[in-house]
Amino acid sequence: MDVQPNNQQIQLIKVEKAYGKHNVLSNCNVNIKRGEFVVIVGRSGSGKSTLLNLIGGLDKPTLGEINILGYSLHTLNEEKLSNLRRKYFGFVFQFFNLIPTLTALENIRLPMSLNGISKKDSINGAKLLLKELRLSGLENHFPDELSGGEQQRVAIARALSHRPEIILADEPTGNLDLETANEVLDLLNTTCRRRGTTLIMATHSKEVMGLADQIFSIRDSEIKKAST
Amino acid sequence: MNTLLCVAATRFYLKRPWQLCLAIFGIALGVAVYVGVDLANDSARRAFNVTASLINGSTTHQLVGTANDIPNSLYRDLHLKYGVRFAAPVIEDGVRLASNTRRELTVLGIDPLKETEFRGFSSFIPGSETNLPQLISEPGTALLPESLMSELGLERDDELGLLVGNIEKKIRVIGTVRDISLTAEGATAPIIMDIATAQELFNRTTISRIDLILNDSEAEDLTSLDLPNVLLTDANDRNASFDELARAFQTNLTALSLLALLVGVFLIYATMSFAVVQRRKTFGVLRALGVDRNQLLLVTLSEALIIGAIATLLGVLLGHQLANSLVELVLQTTGDFYFRSNVAPATPSILLYIKGFILGVATTLAAAAAPALDAAHTMPQTAISRAKLERSTRKIADRAALISVPISLAALVLLGFSTKSLYLGFIGLFLVIAASTLLIPTATRVFAKLVEPALERSFGISGSLAARGISASLSRTGVATAALTVAVATVIGIGLMVSSFRISVDEWLSGTLTADIYLSTESENVFSNSRIEELNAIQGVIGTSITRFIRVPTEQGELTIRAQRAGPLGWGLSLIEEFPDAIERMESNEGILVSEPLAFRQGLEPGDKLPLPTKQGKEEFTILGSFKDYNTNGGTILMSLSLYRTYWNDEDINGVGVYLDTNSDRENTISEIRTFLEETPSVRYRSTDFIQEQSLSIFDQTFKITEVLRVLAGLVAFLGLFSALMSIEIEKTREVATLRAMGLDPRQIGILTLSQTSLLGLASGLFAIPLGIIMAILLIYVINVRSFGWSMSLVLSSQPLLFGVLLALTASILAGIYPTVRAIKFNVAPQLRDE
Repeated sequence: MDVQPNNQQIQLIKVEKAYGKHNVLSNCNVNIKRGEFVVIVGRSGSGKSTLLNLIGGLDKPTLGEINILGYSLHTLNEEKLSNLRRKYFGFVFQFFNLIPTLTALENIRLPMSLNGISKKDSINGAKLLLKELRLSGLENHFPDELSGGEQQRVAIARALSHRPEIILADEPTGNLDLETANEVLDLLNTTCRRRGTTLIMATHSKEVMGLADQIFSIRDSEIKKAST
Repeated sequence: MNTLLCVAATRFYLKRPWQLCLAIFGIALGVAVYVGVDLANDSARRAFNVTASLINGSTTHQLVGTANDIPNSLYRDLHLKYGVRFAAPVIEDGVRLASNTRRELTVLGIDPLKETEFRGFSSFIPGSETNLPQLISEPGTALLPESLMSELGLERDDELGLLVGNIEKKIRVIGTVRDISLTAEGATAPIIMDIATAQELFNRTTISRIDLILNDSEAEDLTSLDLPNVLLTDANDRNASFDELARAFQTNLTALSLLALLVGVFLIYATMSFAVVQRRKTFGVLRALGVDRNQLLLVTLSEALIIGAIATLLGVLLGHQLANSLVELVLQTTGDFYFRSNVAPATPSILLYIKGFILGVATTLAAAAAPALDAAHTMPQTAISRAKLERSTRKIADRAALISVPISLAALVLLGFSTKSLYLGFIGLFLVIAASTLLIPTATRVFAKLVEPALERSFGISGSLAARGISASLSRTGVATAALTVAVATVIGIGLMVSSFRISVDEWLSGTLTADIYLSTESENVFSNSRIEELNAIQGVIGTSITRFIRVPTEQGELTIRAQRAGPLGWGLSLIEEFPDAIERMESNEGILVSEPLAFRQGLEPGDKLPLPTKQGKEEFTILGSFKDYNTNGGTILMSLSLYRTYWNDEDINGVGVYLDTNSDRENTISEIRTFLEETPSVRYRSTDFIQEQSLSIFDQTFKITEVLRVLAGLVAFLGLFSALMSIEIEKTREVATLRAMGLDPRQIGILTLSQTSLLGLASGLFAIPLGIIMAILLIYVINVRSFGWSMSLVLSSQPLLFGVLLALTASILAGIYPTVRAIKFNVAPQLRDE
């Protein structure tokens, strides 16, 4: 599965999502270019996470079409969706979601390993990321031996480790103190910018908005582009 | 498979060593019970086969008497008049060691000159210094198995005391027969002596049978001669009815062991379900990271395979040990069927170990398939949501409850339409268990809802939360309760069956043994008419019943004829068929009665004709009805003594029942009877109480193996309950920490945890009662009847029911202690922080 060159890396066309009778997203149109930093804002329960799940192929729209890297998601089966996520996506969650039985180094290595990168290369790559994210010395710590900030930095390292095209971050700072949150945001932003990785972040943080290329606001199930 | 996924899976289990160990041990125990029983059955079966071939040698046919033993003259006639080339006279009988009266041995009286043709000494090879002609030339000599010689510390020319009936007789050991090559195959060689010595030992002038080597045309020729008072039988068919009984007994044991394995399967299912459920969030993250379904399926199945393989290997080793203990019990019971107990266990085939291993691993994989598929087929975002999981579990549970209806109907149809097949009976039983299992998760939810108000009243918010927690965690609690219910129901079902059976046997013995004293003998012409009259004349004796027992060869194997003249208290029969005048008609020589197992096995109905070999040739007898009989002698035919004497021309008696006057001096009467018997030392004296006690002791001995299996199934159940409940409670650490943070004190937390585990234990115990009773009903009215032809009534004694409920409750309370202590003592803050 190879990326087809397309300036519009992510396209949502008239996408709707409903859970039963409850409409979460309606008539949603979004275009995101390669390397952009996109922020999605909205109240709790407004549908930010749902939008990220739809883009990441973790959930399916009720109506409409989603094109990612030239692929129409509705044409892909489960296996191909898994393949797409494995190669081109990185995820950062509010509650970190590290694998509790793997060490920090192993958690970072996991996406590389899943993409067939050799053990030696994945260890070297993971160590570089640990250093870059100021986590050196914590290689062999398990998630429950790390602080919240450290866990989230490991999660970011894991999301970046296989050099994905897109990073989806669902309120990555929601569970961190202000100082650590700023630190994590800065890390995500600078690393993605440097690597040309598209970063889509759902957040409540106003500080983030200043860094974004595009801001989408969700209200009453409708998505609107806000000025940056 | 991805290495890191394997590492993560391995560490998951290593971080929960108790969970892993309990699962492995539980599965191992289930496999061990199955393998142990299988090995013991095989060992016993092969031991009997080898013993039979050792005794029979190259014999193709046997001539056996239709009533008594065979006269010596027939053997001579076979050679001289009928030109039979290969014939060998045999006396086969049992003796006991005088030094150890419990030790029974088989004596084989042979013609040493004929042995090269028949057994050819291929089975028992004389020791190097053994002088065979000496057996013929010196009366009272014998060859002993080498193992017995060394066991008793005997030397050549030493004397050995043997008990024949109650009389001690001496034989001189002049050599040995080798049984070294045979012990590995399971047989113990018999004591060998010349036929004349054997006749002297058993005080008889006849022979037990004549072994023959015949081709088909020779056999036909001999049959056409229509020799009087003998029947030509195929050597392999003689024990057909006993083989059938032994096979049914072994099938039952195998089925019970499969029940233990089934409990093990639930344990595997529960363990794997927990392991999947506990990692749903992890699986969700992995799916988000791009791990596809097949990879997750492969990981979870590999886990099951590794756990299953380790546990099964352990189970096979444990099974090997268990078989060593079980084989003696199996041999004892099957030995009873054959009236022989001189069989040593055989080394089981290696194939059985391989079969056990494959079955264990395959069962583990099959049990793990559903949880593994569940793990692989959940959408990533659903996997992260616990609430969605529980919602879908409730839906699945409700659907499962609906599915249980057609399965129950299928079981009913199967049990109703097949009236004979034991295997279909077992399939029906297993379908009933499956249907009940599917009902249990929904029943658990309903049970929790029903008890919630009472718990809230008794324990406040802790009680209410405990009940609600059960419904809220149905994905965990439903599986655990189902697994434990089946295990506890098995324990209850088997317990009820055995206790009902024991009560039926006890009642049957009380009804059948109408006399106060029973006298029996193996010798001929001991009870003459005058001796019976003398016995009747003793002060305090109000009457006697007289009986002639013989074994007759039939196409269905050997059967017992009990020809009787009833005593003053009647026949003591419990008739099965509704033919009230059957006994009167039998007394007027209109026909015979057959034992219930015989009637069932051969489909005999009143009015049918049963051909029997008499002294006047094969005669057909009308069946008037059937009677209850819990003997394991392969089948009994009851007829009046006068009818028997008409057809068999045999006036001998070998059993006398003596009825005592309740108003007379009982001790004095017994003393007089004993004095009367001094003239006939071969007569065995047994009081009714003694027979009843002995019979029940044999019963208990027979069901010891069932009891062992019940205890093992109980142990598997205990482990299952313990590990499942502990998993559930430990998994709730965060929830408990939140409650602690909200102000619940340690006492309330303790009540919450303990009442939840106790509630689950109680639910399992209570659900197990109806299922256990249903299992007992099926075991009693379907399985036992189809296995042995024995009918009995279910007796609902409280002991097995209470035992089941207590087992479940004890395990649940014990399982709740550790999580409770942990919940009270742990540091709340880190548990709240840690997601």
